[in-house]
Order: sequence, then C-alpha cells, then structure tokens
Amino acid sequence: MHVFKSDVAIVGAGGAGLRAAIAVAEADPSLTVALISKVYPMRSHTVAAEGGSAGVVQAHDSLQHHFDDTVSGGDWLCEQDAVDYFVAHCTEEMVQLEHWGCPWSRKDDGHVDIRAFGGMKIERTWFAADKTGFHMLHTLFQTSIKYPSIKRFDEYFCCDLIVEDGRCQGVLAIGIGTGEFTLIHAKAVIIATGGVGRVFRQNTNGGIVTGDGMALAYRYGVPLRDMEFIQYHPTCLPGSGLLITEACRGEGGIMVNKDGRRYLQDYGLGPADPWPRKKAMELGPRDRLCQAFWHEEQSGRTIATAQGQAVHLDLRHLGEKKLHERLPQICEMAEAFLGVDPVYAPIPVRPAVHYTMGGIQVDIKTASPLPGLYAAGECSSIGIHGANRLGSNSLAELCVFGKVAGSEAARFARSTAAGNSTTIERHADAARQRAMNLVNRSKGSERIAVLRNEMALSMERGCGIYRNGTDMQATCDKIDELKLRYRNVEVGDKSSVWNTEWLLAIELGYLLDVAQAIAYSALNRKESRGAHQRLDGFDQRDDANYLKHSLAHYADAGPPRIDYGPVAITRSQPGTRAYGAAGEQAERDRKHGEAIDE
Amino acid sequence: MSARRPYMRPMDGWWRRNPFFIRYMIREATAVLVVAYATVLLFGVIRLAQGESAYDAWLASLRSPWSLAFHIVLLANFVYHTWSWFQIMPKTMPMIVIRGKRLQPAVITAAGLLAAAVASVGLLLLTLGIGS
Amino acid sequence: MNETRKVIAIEVLRYRPELDNKPFFQTYQVPFTEEMSVLQGLLYIKDELDSTLSFRWSCRMAICGSCGAMIDGVPKLGCHTFLRDYYPNKVRVEPLAHFPIERDLVVGADDFIGKLERIKPYIVPKEPRTLAEGEYLQTPAQLERILQFSSCINCMLCYAACPQYGLDPAFIGPGVLALLHRYNADSRDAARAERMELVNAEEGVWSCTAVGYCSEVCPKGVDPANAVNQNKTTSAVDYFVNLVRPKGAGR
Repeated sequence: MHVFKSDVAIVGAGGAGLRAAIAVAEADPSLTVALISKVYPMRSHTVAAEGGSAGVVQAHDSLQHHFDDTVSGGDWLCEQDAVDYFVAHCTEEMVQLEHWGCPWSRKDDGHVDIRAFGGMKIERTWFAADKTGFHMLHTLFQTSIKYPSIKRFDEYFCCDLIVEDGRCQGVLAIGIGTGEFTLIHAKAVIIATGGVGRVFRQNTNGGIVTGDGMALAYRYGVPLRDMEFIQYHPTCLPGSGLLITEACRGEGGIMVNKDGRRYLQDYGLGPADPWPRKKAMELGPRDRLCQAFWHEEQSGRTIATAQGQAVHLDLRHLGEKKLHERLPQICEMAEAFLGVDPVYAPIPVRPAVHYTMGGIQVDIKTASPLPGLYAAGECSSIGIHGANRLGSNSLAELCVFGKVAGSEAARFARSTAAGNSTTIERHADAARQRAMNLVNRSKGSERIAVLRNEMALSMERGCGIYRNGTDMQATCDKIDELKLRYRNVEVGDKSSVWNTEWLLAIELGYLLDVAQAIAYSALNRKESRGAHQRLDGFDQRDDANYLKHSLAHYADAGPPRIDYGPVAITRSQPGTRAYGAAGEQAERDRKHGEAIDE
Repeated sequence: MSARRPYMRPMDGWWRRNPFFIRYMIREATAVLVVAYATVLLFGVIRLAQGESAYDAWLASLRSPWSLAFHIVLLANFVYHTWSWFQIMPKTMPMIVIRGKRLQPAVITAAGLLAAAVASVGLLLLTLGIGS
Repeated sequence: MNETRKVIAIEVLRYRPELDNKPFFQTYQVPFTEEMSVLQGLLYIKDELDSTLSFRWSCRMAICGSCGAMIDGVPKLGCHTFLRDYYPNKVRVEPLAHFPIERDLVVGADDFIGKLERIKPYIVPKEPRTLAEGEYLQTPAQLERILQFSSCINCMLCYAACPQYGLDPAFIGPGVLALLHRYNADSRDAARAERMELVNAEEGVWSCTAVGYCSEVCPKGVDPANAVNQNKTTSAVDYFVNLVRPKGAGR
C-alpha cells in the first residue's frame, strides 16, 4: 500500500474543496494539503451550476434582508447564527473570486452586474453569463495551481475514513488508474464531496453525485441532519432532468400550463402582473413552484411530452439578443436535447431532484462531532438552508464555508500531533480488505444496475414533492431490502486498471446508506415544512412539535435511529412564508407594525 | 509496478482518415506549385536579362500546349491557394470590434477575396493595356 | 412504455491492459429512443450488456468535459452526440486520438493537465487591491475579449483534432494556449511577459500550422486556432522588440 503523509486531507475538489485547499495554503504554506478527488477537479458537479451566487451589494439592500430571505425561505429551520455569518461573508468571497479572475458579468460602468433570483427580495445574485458554477470552479481550480503546498490526487476514489483514538486521522483511497490503494495520513480531514441526488431517478446531477462523504461520515457515527429536505428544481428538461437555470425566470421568463395560463397565480404567488417582480410568481421559492407543478399535473393541466408531463417555460418575449447574451447555454441545450429554439418556442420543463439541503452535521465552524473531521458545501448541514434552499445561496456557501473549513482544519492540524502509525495502518488494511471483498467475491447474485434502478424508482415514489406515510414506509422497506441484497452484489470486472464497475459497487453502498437516512427521516417528520410536504393529515407546519432538526444515526444492521436536535433561533421568529401579493401585504404590515413601535 | 500498460496508436496515414485533413494537405500542397510558378517567372527574369531574343524564345516556349496545360493547372492551384489563404486569415487576427459589434470572420474572408479579385483584374487590364 | 425500440449497433474500441496485447473492436446491439445520446448508449451497454466497459462521464450536459471520444472518427462529446444521427448505420466509438489508451475509452490526461499547470493559469494582478476595495473594474468590452477563451471545458477534443500534437506531443496544444491567451488578454493581469516565453518557444505557437480542425470540433466555440494564430503575430513582434531593447531592461 502506498502511504502519503499530509497535514490536511480534503476529499472532493469541487468549489468547497478547492476553496478549502486554498484557505489552508494561505493560512500556512508549510502545511501539506492532500486534495483528493475521484475526478479531475474541473469535472466536479459545481461546474454545472448556472444561475449565480449571492452577495449583498446594492445600497438599498442589506445583510438583514439577505438573512430574512434565507431564513424565511428555509421555513425557519435554519441555524440563524450560521446564516448571520454566511450573509456577512458572501460579498467578500465573491470579490475574492473576482480578484482571482472570475469573469463576472458586468454593468456598463465596469462594476459587477447582479440579477434577481427566486425568493430574494432585492437583487443580489452575481452571475457569469448562465455558467456561473463553471466559471467559479475553473477560477478556483486554476488559482489553486499557484500554491505548491497543495498536492492533488486526481482520480483517487476515497473508500474509507481512518478513524482511530476517537478522531479522524486520514483516508484510504483507490488510485483509479492503477487499482492500487494509498493511505493518506492527515491531522484533519475535510469532506467536500457534494450531494446525493443520484439516489433519485430524475435529477439534475452528474453521475458522480453519490453521497460518498456523507455515507463515510455517517458510518463513523456522525449524524446526517435534515436529510428529508430534498430540493426539486422546478425547471428541468423532461427525461434527462438536465437543469434549466432559474436565471431564465430572473430575466423575465414565465411558466404556463396546457391552457397557456400562468398557473402560479393560483398558488398564492400572484397576481401575475406586473412582471417581473421579486418573490412573486415565477420568482417564488423553488419548493412552492414544484408543489404547484404537482397540483397542475394531478389536475391534468400539464403538457404531455414524449419524456413525460411538463409545463412550458416561455422565453420568447425576451428576444433573441437578450437570450443569446444572458442565457446562451440554455438556448444551446434546448436545441441539442429537445430540438427547441427558445427564441421561437417555449421549453418544456418539469421538476427534478437538484439539491440536498441536509448532510453531515457540522457546527458554525464546519466541525463535525467527530474531532478532526470537517465538512463544507452541499455534503454538509451547517444549517443555512433549513427546509428549502434559495437559489444562488449554494455557490456562495461553497466559498464562505470552504474557507472556514480550510482555516479551521489548518488550525486543528497545527495543534495536533500525528497519530499512532501502527493502528492507522491496521485500520487501513482492514478497510482495503473490505473494498477488495467486493471485487473478489465469486458469483454474486445481484446486479448493480438492478439495485440502483429499484432504489431510484422507490425514492422517487416515496420521497417526491408530496409525500404520505404509506409510500414513505414502502420506500423505507424497499431500501432495507436493497441493503440486504447489496451484500450479494456482483462485480463481474476483476481487473485493477480503471475498474469502474468496482467503484460503482462501492458508490451503490454509499447511495443506499444515505437513501435510508433520507427515507426514515422523511417518514418520521410528521409535519409539512419547506421541501418536505405531506398529504396524509400532516399538511401544515407544526412548530410546536417539529421546529427541530432531524438527526439520522447509522445502525450497523437495521434502519437508522432518528432523533432530533434544536434549531438556533436568534432574531427571526417563525412566521408565515408569504410571497406574491400576500408577501407584499405582510411586508406592509410589518413596516406598519415597526412604525407603531416607534 | 502497477498493471497500467498505456497503448499508443500510430500516426501513420493520419491525414487520409478525415476529409478535413485531406483538404488541409491539398491546401499545403498548393504551396509547392506556387514555388514552381515562381521558378518559371524567375526563368523569365533571367532570360530578360540575357537580351531580347532570349526573352522572346522564353515567351514562345510558354505558348506550347504542355505549357498552356501547366498554366491552367497553376491557375486552378492559385485560385484554391488564394481562397484557402483568406479562409484561414481571420484566425490569425485578434478580435476587432466596430461600433460595439464584433467583426465576423466571413467579412474578413470576403474582403480579402474581393481585394484579390480586384487586384488580379486590375493587373490583367494593366498588362493587356501595355501589350496593346 | 413498451413501444418497439429501434436497435443500433455501437462498435467500441476495447483495451484491457491486463488481458489484451492491443485494442480490438467489440460491437453491441443497443435499443434506443430518439433523444438518446451516444453516452446513454454506452451507459446502457455498461448496465445491461457488458459491465466491464470503462469510460469517463458525469454531467450529461456538455459542461464537465469528461466524455470526449472519437465518434465515427470525429472528436465529439458523447453526451452531446445523438444516436438518431447515425442510425441505421453503426456508430464507431474510440478513445480520443493522440492520447495513450489506459483502458477502453479512457485516455491518459496527465500530459494535458501538466501543460495546463505550466502556463500560470491565474491572475497576477496589475495593481494591488484589498477585498474591502471591492472588485476591479472591467467593462463589458474588456470582458468580451476574454469570455470566449475562458469557456474551455478542458474536454481535450482539440488535442484529438490536432495532427501536430499527434505527431509531436511536446506541443503545448490548442486548449492550453487558448487558456494562456485568456489570461494574457485579461485587463486585470500582469504576467504577460512570463507567459510569452512559453508562447515563443518551439513547442508554443510555432508548432501550429493552422490546420484549424481544433476550432471545428470545439463544443464551446472557444476557437483555439484563433488564440494560437493571433499569438504568432504577438510572438514575432515580441521577438523583434526584445532584439531592439537593451539587455537587462525592465518589463
């Protein structure tokens, strides 16, 4: 087994991982950073994010407004102290990216341009055409090349954490190109492996978004928090699930049903005009838009396409010039995948799974309960998204908390002694054996694709936009069954070099573990809040009983134990999430109330 | 020693595998005939320096059937050479923005071809004029 | 959904270093629907027909740059190339040309990554600025000069298209030179002189003979041929300026 000694090991080289690596390198260039990724960094799924990244800039905007939008958008399940820190550091991180060369779109005077985004009262979303994630990721990757202390392990697949003496002391990784194992010692480990959207059938995610880091931390006793909150993005291509950015709606796009009606006005987001208007109609929060689609589909008012039911995203009124300048990628995608030119025809869209609000439980410093283990980005639950994430908060999160994770991990590494090599190596050997057992097993009875498809279909049925106890229970039972069958999974490919079937089998194990946490967390939350909506009698928010975080604890044999943790409420008491005209009225009432208090 | 054994495919016959490369090779080959014609003209200059009878003899040789056939081939060669030259020319130029709009490669190519055509016709008329 | 699907033959160049002396073709019969991409065809093969087929992929939307391959001899992204355009003929899928084959459709990318790292692909600021001072100003016109060249997804199709790279792998190549140009052309950057050393070298722009196929195959309209060839002029000017300038003079 190869061995590498590092001070900080980072698993995942997407936006959060790269930002963390740079933060360690800047905090202390004498620390060795091992940046481990199962794909080359520019393939990380950050690359597919489109719309933008939030940061308060306008004079009439404020941190308080960003805070309020985020907390209400999250249906008050947010850790408000974390949100406070977050909004206070977004702009600085966006400026940092600009200094590093990120080609933000500009106003005529040379300042960075911003646009409106769903659920946000005032424009604060920085963007780089409609490829913001792409530009941010490439900027971060190319900037990371400046720092000699960052040693990259490109195409190394992390198959286990090394946890000894009650703390995380490194990782075991498989070199994909050789099939050989490398033990990477580390005094601090940061997990930045992204979300787990691939447990669902229709999703916007790339093939690599399989919850690797979530599963690894979970297996070592770190709770997965708020896993039931899965964000469906309202505008995705039917069939493939590929993302059509919210920025289309930020630029003024509208959504109509089979009858050409802007149906969102029937779901508390209206009135339809004037348009565009922030926090109303098509710029409402994602969970409400997806829920509206579900109702329209139930009522037979959606449009049938070859790839399933859809509604129409109409951008024609924006005009060719604006479309090609602001939304070039969308035009290209609609043309290539559906033969639709948005200049002349509306784009069929429907919800698909997009983002995992929950994840590895961490505190405001990105530290998990396991000493030496940190997490940042989509894989973590630091609590800023609550029950529903606002668009453009995720890209900003990668930078704000990627930096915190790097700084904290550096601090921890500097003040920590190296561990006991013998016990660490023994642990690594055992982990290697477990990984090899998967491929050495002769004649398993279950095929990877079969198990994966059954899981994805069941999750779509039980943990969809609207849920009920019966279907969720069925999904829980199904995942339990799949986990048992997984013990006999067959890996036909016995080679060492680029054995992707072997890696798919390991990923399937990660997917099933996290799917189980999602399904059981969902079943046990007997209320409706944010992205978790039920139709079986628990269709209202229940602050008395459920203003708390779900915590899923891994159990070796059997379903996870679900318990609950408190929500940090500082300034914003739970209120009604009001958008559209109702939102404007609520705002007027609030201002009136403030005026009276004065 | 890992089990890796990267395999490198040979480059033999690379240009025959793709019509784009065949066109590229033809483009490059036109330069050979350009040199050939330059040699013909060089001969003409040398003969001119050797006196009127040498020059007249050279001109007469140009009128032979083989020479005429060769010059037709040369003309076709030059037309293609010129066309492909201006096709690639926009690639050698930085972005030009005129009144807020980017100058399109097709415009540069068209301008170049037009200039070449005008110059060729102009030169032809000039030499015809001198001759008459 | 039980409509009878059409079936297309996908012929893939296989290579398993532990089993094979050299690559060989294997043909699979793949049922497909109108909107299926070549990548989806490969995924079907891996899931249902032959789990040992290895290839890179991720985003499915032509932005991560993983799934490049030679499709009927032309460098393309598998996720962005559709089976309907080849039917009823068979589709031949091979790993990207000019790269060593590691396994099946996976090529060795180390050379490309190494070159990307060599060119200083980051901003060396012209003037210092603190974060509190906010962003550097950059007009839309200045942004326009770099946006196209910063759209490269590192898919390496241009390297598979470039015969000069195939004949001499020392050539820095179209994609990396386009990225180099992107930084040289950025109004905020000051490291142009250092990068010119790479541009001026034999393995820089002077290995390019303006074949132009790189720009033909680029899925993102980066036009690397333009980035490389406009720098030939820059390189020549640079050469003469350096001849005239006394030695030891500042940048």
